[in-house]
Amino acid sequence: MKMIKIYEGSHQWIMFGRDEGKPDKLIDTNQYAVCTANRCLLLEPGGVETFAPMMAALLHFTRVEQITDLFASNPDPDVISSLGLWDQALTNATLHAPAIWEKFLNHYGCDSISYAPIADNGGTIKLDSVELQLIPAHYLYSPGNFHVYDPQAKILMSGDVGAALESPGAPVFVENFAAHIEKMRFFHQRLMPSNQAKRAWIERVRKLDIDILAPQHGRMFRCDDVQRFLDWFDALQVGVAAHI
Amino acid sequence: MSNQTKSQFVAVASITSELTAVMVVAREISLAAANAKAIAFRAGDKAKGFQPITDFINELAKETIELVTNINVSALLLYRVTVNEYRRTSAYNKFQQAAKLADNAVYAKSMQAPVNNAKLRMEECQRQFKRDVALLLGQLETVMHHARAARVIAANSRIEASQAGEYLQSLQAVAESVDKAAHTIHDNVQRCRRALSVYRNN
Repeated sequence: MKMIKIYEGSHQWIMFGRDEGKPDKLIDTNQYAVCTANRCLLLEPGGVETFAPMMAALLHFTRVEQITDLFASNPDPDVISSLGLWDQALTNATLHAPAIWEKFLNHYGCDSISYAPIADNGGTIKLDSVELQLIPAHYLYSPGNFHVYDPQAKILMSGDVGAALESPGAPVFVENFAAHIEKMRFFHQRLMPSNQAKRAWIERVRKLDIDILAPQHGRMFRCDDVQRFLDWFDALQVGVAAHI
Repeated sequence: MSNQTKSQFVAVASITSELTAVMVVAREISLAAANAKAIAFRAGDKAKGFQPITDFINELAKETIELVTNINVSALLLYRVTVNEYRRTSAYNKFQQAAKLADNAVYAKSMQAPVNNAKLRMEECQRQFKRDVALLLGQLETVMHHARAARVIAANSRIEASQAGEYLQSLQAVAESVDKAAHTIHDNVQRCRRALSVYRNN
């Protein structure tokens, strides 16, 4: 599994992905960790199949007992079906996830982890001195959905927005935006249901100062490519409007 | 999921199915008892010996229904233990795999505690499963006793029915119905016991 440090300051952001040992039948996912001196937040912990390599990769950056927080943008299996395993591995952890999914997510097994429901209008996660913002991204594509913004690192973890279907060894950053578009089009047009939801999200996100846009699948966007992505997504007809 | 785990799930699930059939049959016995009581009442002195038997039949049916209801609760608990055991075994295996993969990681040693805890939880679950299987087998044995008792009552019923003159056929039909039901209960419960006994000593 690739482990790329994408920010290092008072805290660290690490991107994990491109797991070579992953069965071919599973979609490749990106996980992210935000580590402070004493705590670690794992964003989009992943599926059951990727638990062991994910945990092993995290141990390069933090101790098990310092993994105190998990975040799931939505209840998809590739995002959080490993919850039952984290629940047994972690002794003092909190899962931050949309309030509307609480009873659904408990099906994955959530006995010792405490569930911190995120209200529809968002919220924050405090990790030592770092405060992360939970940005509403409802209907993109899940009806209850959030992204995580770090104003200090200027990183937006954007869940399925910006996702692309990539070959296993693909680079982790977009290198040629124009060439990348076709890898994203189907995913966004087919999965994102509503132009209205899309516009609301774009309006919200344009106000943020973003250096890196980090989706759950495919490549991350940095610098000018963030703006290029927002413009492209803004112009794209999605879901019911795309007449699929 | 290993083949043994699959068989374990199937065995536990099949008990509920077998017991549902037992419950239906036990209710039939109860109905037969009520029917027999009415016939015996009509027969008067001719079926004097049959009258107390109908009470026995009814009592036996009620007890069997109660027992099976309790066993169903135990079977459901056993199913939950089976799910827990599967989850805990799966977690232990994944934790071991993670510890192995993290061999050269800076904080690899911190994985040892979760591995040890997962092993303890898995072993406790396995012990719990065996305890619950033993308990369930004991409860099933009690139902078998009831089934055997029902067959004895059926045999007695036949004898008493033979002295009931024009009511002979009706009362013999009751005896047959009790005997048949007792057979069914015996066979179904025996299948449950066979399915479970594999796991008693594993």
